[in-house]
Amino acid sequence: MSDFFQSGIITTLHQLGQPSLERLESELAGFAKTRPIALVLPALYSEFEGPAMPGIVQELTKVKYLNEVVLALDQATEEQFQRVRGIMSVIPTEVKIVHNKGKRIAEVYETLTRNGLDAGPQGKGRSAWLSYGYVLARGKSDVIALHDCDIITYSRTLLARLCYPIASPTLNYVFCKGYYSRVTDKMNGRVTRLLVTPLVRSLQQLTGEHGFLTFLDSFRYPLAGEFSMSTELARINRIPSDWGLEVGSLAEVYRNYSPHRVCQVDIAATYEHKHQQLSAEDAQKGLMKMAVDICKSIFRTLASDGVVFSESMFRSLSVTYLRQAEDTLLKYESDAKINALDFDRHEEAKAVEAFTRAIAMAAQAFLENPMGTPLIPNWNRVSAAIPGIFDMLRKAVDEDNK
Amino acid sequence: MTDFLNLILEPLQEVFLKFQDFLPNLLAMLVILLLGILLAKLLRFILVKFLHAIEFDNWSDRMGFTALMRKGDLWVKPSAVIGGVVFWILVIVTLMAGLGALNVAAIDTLVAQFFNYLPRVFSAAIILAVGYLFTSFISRAVLIAVANGGYHYARLLAEAMRVLLMLMILAMVMEQLQIATGIVLAAFSILFGGIVIALAIAFGVGGIDTARRIVEQQFAEEEAPKPPDDIEHL
Repeated sequence: MSDFFQSGIITTLHQLGQPSLERLESELAGFAKTRPIALVLPALYSEFEGPAMPGIVQELTKVKYLNEVVLALDQATEEQFQRVRGIMSVIPTEVKIVHNKGKRIAEVYETLTRNGLDAGPQGKGRSAWLSYGYVLARGKSDVIALHDCDIITYSRTLLARLCYPIASPTLNYVFCKGYYSRVTDKMNGRVTRLLVTPLVRSLQQLTGEHGFLTFLDSFRYPLAGEFSMSTELARINRIPSDWGLEVGSLAEVYRNYSPHRVCQVDIAATYEHKHQQLSAEDAQKGLMKMAVDICKSIFRTLASDGVVFSESMFRSLSVTYLRQAEDTLLKYESDAKINALDFDRHEEAKAVEAFTRAIAMAAQAFLENPMGTPLIPNWNRVSAAIPGIFDMLRKAVDEDNK
Repeated sequence: MTDFLNLILEPLQEVFLKFQDFLPNLLAMLVILLLGILLAKLLRFILVKFLHAIEFDNWSDRMGFTALMRKGDLWVKPSAVIGGVVFWILVIVTLMAGLGALNVAAIDTLVAQFFNYLPRVFSAAIILAVGYLFTSFISRAVLIAVANGGYHYARLLAEAMRVLLMLMILAMVMEQLQIATGIVLAAFSILFGGIVIALAIAFGVGGIDTARRIVEQQFAEEEAPKPPDDIEHL
């Protein structure tokens, strides 16, 4: 059982005791009458061939309170798209599949690009963004929930707890991030444990108290891919198209809303999904690529908020981070020992060394190009530039799903 | 035996001679067709390049032409559509010119009818394009004016205006193309007239009290005696 301590500047909704799923779902069914809920699932076709997606579909067949499910399918041929339609047809809620590689959606992307509104390369960010656009175009939902499609330990409790804070008319939240413990027989979630938290705290040491760093440090699992939000937020938030997606999205939430309207919720006792290789020698793939993108996103967000970065500051940051990460590592080692978890200290230390290199690479990239890759524009801007874009998107998805 | 052979060979010879006469015409048609298709392809290429250069696709996106195409489940670039339309018009014109080269009386009549009909097709296309722009402009103006007036049914009214104007423009296009002119005119008159009468009745009946109040107020103001002038003039 979790403790009830409130940390940071956002609200934490813990799992206290054994809350009944039936009660949650029954309340959600009531809320959904006035605040209909859309579930967005960014998925690759390969996830339908593994154990995760069949399990998720099986659980979703039991969910009654959803208004619509929008599956953004990537890397799928026409034949695979049709197969996925068959698999998803067992879900009782209305399901629409955004076929990212399809002719019509490709033309929507082409229309955006020629108007200077680049949706970025293929990936979760672009898929999620287009799905929000489709939900907005339909105008039938007030709440959007999103979770990854590689969760092996998925249960519908996760979805119910994720939707509840935003769907409830008495809780005044616009954004809710999920959190969970990434523990099996060992501690996972290396990027959060050994990169993000020590980096944020090192930056706080160097720059002093900063709103965004305090905000970011308030999240128990800032890189969790599970969140829910109001459709109003989906309309005004911009999204990064790289691995900086989670941190960049939080930066946009911080920019547009008060922390009082943001919360995090405990959505699962255990959470297991596919793991990335560290790839310490190659910064173009694996966790290293993720680490570099996340660092760049944090540096750019801080710079846009007036923090001045220089080479000397980055040199200090590397040393400060290393000390912070080593201290953190010791804390986790103790935590692992008391809980009888496997803890490979050497591997963890190697990860810290790799992340130190990632910070240096991100710093170099930032100094060379402080602007970086622009975020995917928000839907308000897109609809101002192309007035018929929502009709176009709705038509493309609806025709693909006929 | 020779007579019998002649009986068979003479018609064949006649057919051969006729074919010999017809062959240059056929070759001329094929050459016209080939050159026409090549020319059409070249013109399409140049036109599409030109449309790209003037950013026609972006303009279409902003003006709503692209959205209109997508509504019709047409998922190519607007410039490619224009290029395709021009290409096929040129191919059809070439085909007609080629058929004319055959010198067959029946085909000549058909070709003449086709060329006589072409101006109507062009004017119908212009009416449709200008009409669509005009409709979008009016609909947008209504939306802005009514929304600024604080009425919550602004979008509904703007859409209604768009549908009505598009109906009128489509009727004009059909009339121009001379497709079932009588039926189109009658259908349009009945539909448009019906809508206008319905609106007139709705506003008329709904506004009786308001109209009475305005008229009564007007008369009351005219009949009311003027108050005495209390101001002392110097």
